[in-house]
Amino acid sequence: MPAVRVEKLEKDYGKVKALKGISFEVKEGEIFGLIGPNGAGKSTTLRILATLLFPTAGKAEVFGKDVVKQADNVRKLISYLPEEAGAYKNLTGYEYLEFMAKLYAKTGKSVEEMLELGKEISDLGNRLYDKVSTYSKGMTRKLLLARALMVKPRLAILDEPASGLDIINAYSIRQTIKSFARNEGVTFLVSSHNMLEVEFLCDKVALINEGVIIEIGSPRELKEKYEAKNLEEVFMRAIRVSAGGE
Amino acid sequence: MSDFWIIVKKEIKDLLRNKQIIFGMIILPLILFPALGQMMQIGIEQAQEETKVVLVNFDKGEYGSLLVKSLEIAPNVTVTQIQAKDLQEAIKKAGEKDYNVVVVIPSDFSQKISSNEKTYVEVYAIFKGISAGMREGMSEGRINAVVQVLNEYLAKLKIEQNVQGDPEAILKPIEAKSYSIIKGRIVEVPPSVVSGIIFSQAFSIPLVLFIMITYVSQMAATTMAAEKENKTLETLLTLPVKRITIIAGKMIGTAGVALISSIAYMIGMKYYIGSLTPQTSEIGISLEDLGLSITPKGAFLFALSLFLAIVFALSISMLLSVFAEDVRSATTLVSMSIMPLLFPSFILMFADLETLPTAIKSILLALPFTHPILASRAMLMQQYSQMYFGIAYLSVITLITLYITAKFFSTEKVLTAKLKFGKRKRGRA
Ligand SMILES: Nc1ncnc2c1ncn2[C@@H]1O[C@H](COP(=O)(O)OP(=O)(O)OP(=O)(O)O)[C@@H](O)[C@H]1O
Ligand SMILES: [Mg+2]
Repeated sequence: MPAVRVEKLEKDYGKVKALKGISFEVKEGEIFGLIGPNGAGKSTTLRILATLLFPTAGKAEVFGKDVVKQADNVRKLISYLPEEAGAYKNLTGYEYLEFMAKLYAKTGKSVEEMLELGKEISDLGNRLYDKVSTYSKGMTRKLLLARALMVKPRLAILDEPASGLDIINAYSIRQTIKSFARNEGVTFLVSSHNMLEVEFLCDKVALINEGVIIEIGSPRELKEKYEAKNLEEVFMRAIRVSAGGE
Repeated sequence: MSDFWIIVKKEIKDLLRNKQIIFGMIILPLILFPALGQMMQIGIEQAQEETKVVLVNFDKGEYGSLLVKSLEIAPNVTVTQIQAKDLQEAIKKAGEKDYNVVVVIPSDFSQKISSNEKTYVEVYAIFKGISAGMREGMSEGRINAVVQVLNEYLAKLKIEQNVQGDPEAILKPIEAKSYSIIKGRIVEVPPSVVSGIIFSQAFSIPLVLFIMITYVSQMAATTMAAEKENKTLETLLTLPVKRITIIAGKMIGTAGVALISSIAYMIGMKYYIGSLTPQTSEIGISLEDLGLSITPKGAFLFALSLFLAIVFALSISMLLSVFAEDVRSATTLVSMSIMPLLFPSFILMFADLETLPTAIKSILLALPFTHPILASRAMLMQQYSQMYFGIAYLSVITLITLYITAKFFSTEKVLTAKLKFGKRKRGRA
């Protein structure tokens, strides 16, 4: 059973067609990247998989569970990090993690373990005991990432995980994601418009543009196919090909 | 244009483009205060209605008839003379019809006046409900006025005739002894005092309810809108927690804080009202003395009614705040929706439900927040059957609202409603 299966997924926001029938699969334990320019439909796809939005047409499943009909079941398997997110400002970072950990306790994990892990991933040291309202943008992002990962979900859906982080923090987050996938068997579905980040991180990527997936494969396969040095070049060529092919 | 005016202009433009501000801060007050005046008018008109007197004259002499005549010609007083063998029967007969005062002239009335002794008439004001009680107080005043006119007339007569005797009995031969009848029971407290006590009840309960409901709905709107504003809502909605649990948790949390705040309010109000009207405690008359006691059953039913009204307010506020973009617009949106539901029940401060025109009565009964106010009165009057109806109605309305809210929260609208709202606005502009 694949971790994620998306079939001919469409999403309209009124007149705007954000997704025009995309299909892809994510294998269990894989780090899958959804890459594309602004407004391509990445966040829309992730939000449908996170049970927040309902598809206009098509189907989306997480470990065989339909994201619309079995939303409650899907939520037990996933952990979602929105592109733009905040934490409760009047809580301390630690209290925030504690609040979240307790809500996930019923999925069979120990609150203490989750908190231990959360502290480690957030890497905030003593600042974890300060109110969230005093955090910088990057610190908040790290806290949110820590909460998304500490619960060790079957599937982590991360919308631009490293947005707002400096290179050092972005690097360490990528290391954490990789080790979670290798050691904990967590499946990752991440979106990004930073092609280099994705190339380093992902086992497999889907290139999405204007609500259509134009190419799927491992970074290496894609680079070979388009005879490109990096994913950026792949993307530019793939867009040209798909536009020309129409 | 100077920088100052550029900023002023932008600020005004910005504020006036916000429809909620226009409605909440400009249109609403223009409607609200005239409406409040209108309501007070209804109460005052009711209080000024005819005083309907049932008169029992046990006196066969001339002065008894004189008093009856004086009452008959007095403005705003209609007198119906009845035969009754005792006071109980007179009160019973008065209660059957819409009479609000019973006047009893004792059998030795004329004889005492003739022999220059002091005599009295008994005035019983019948309290039907616990609205302001202005009507009963006013009736007492009217009867007293008639008695006073008669006293002056008799005093003049006696002085002209050079009558000797107790000056007190000559100057003021007739004393009006006033009593109140509450729930068919005679209470030896003048109606004006009862009115005063009842007035503070009639006034403070709707006021406390108003404050409480406003607070509760503002808080509920704030907690929902803050989730949006601080971008914590998306995360919250993907947690392995049932949506209904999220709503219920927020509601109970809010209600808890509201409870603390309303207790603080009531304590504060008690001192505030206490400092304004010290007479109640000075006279030493409590509600119990008036036969208006609160039983555990009554208190429970009232609390239930209040609880349901609060849950309704919470639920509807959460639902509405989903459509707002930030905390500020959420609170305005909620108050402009809750106000019209809450405000008409203010009429109960000044008038009794039963005495209102049917149309107004039906509107009031349809509004959820009327019921806790009615329940607070039914609790004091120990009329429980009235409370059951209110509670049943509130339960149905509250459950429907809760259901809609829960349904709404299980769709994507909880995230996208805001955008549609915004888009519609932009489309119109
Ligand atoms: N709530 C919404 N209402 C209307 N249109 C929307 C809404 N959300 C997204 N869209 C539109 O859908 C399209 C896809 O948006 P989406 O957010 O999925 O893009 P994205 O790939 O995540 O872009 P970015 O890299 O900028 O985050 C865009 O054209 C966007 O304007
Ligand atoms: Mg996005």
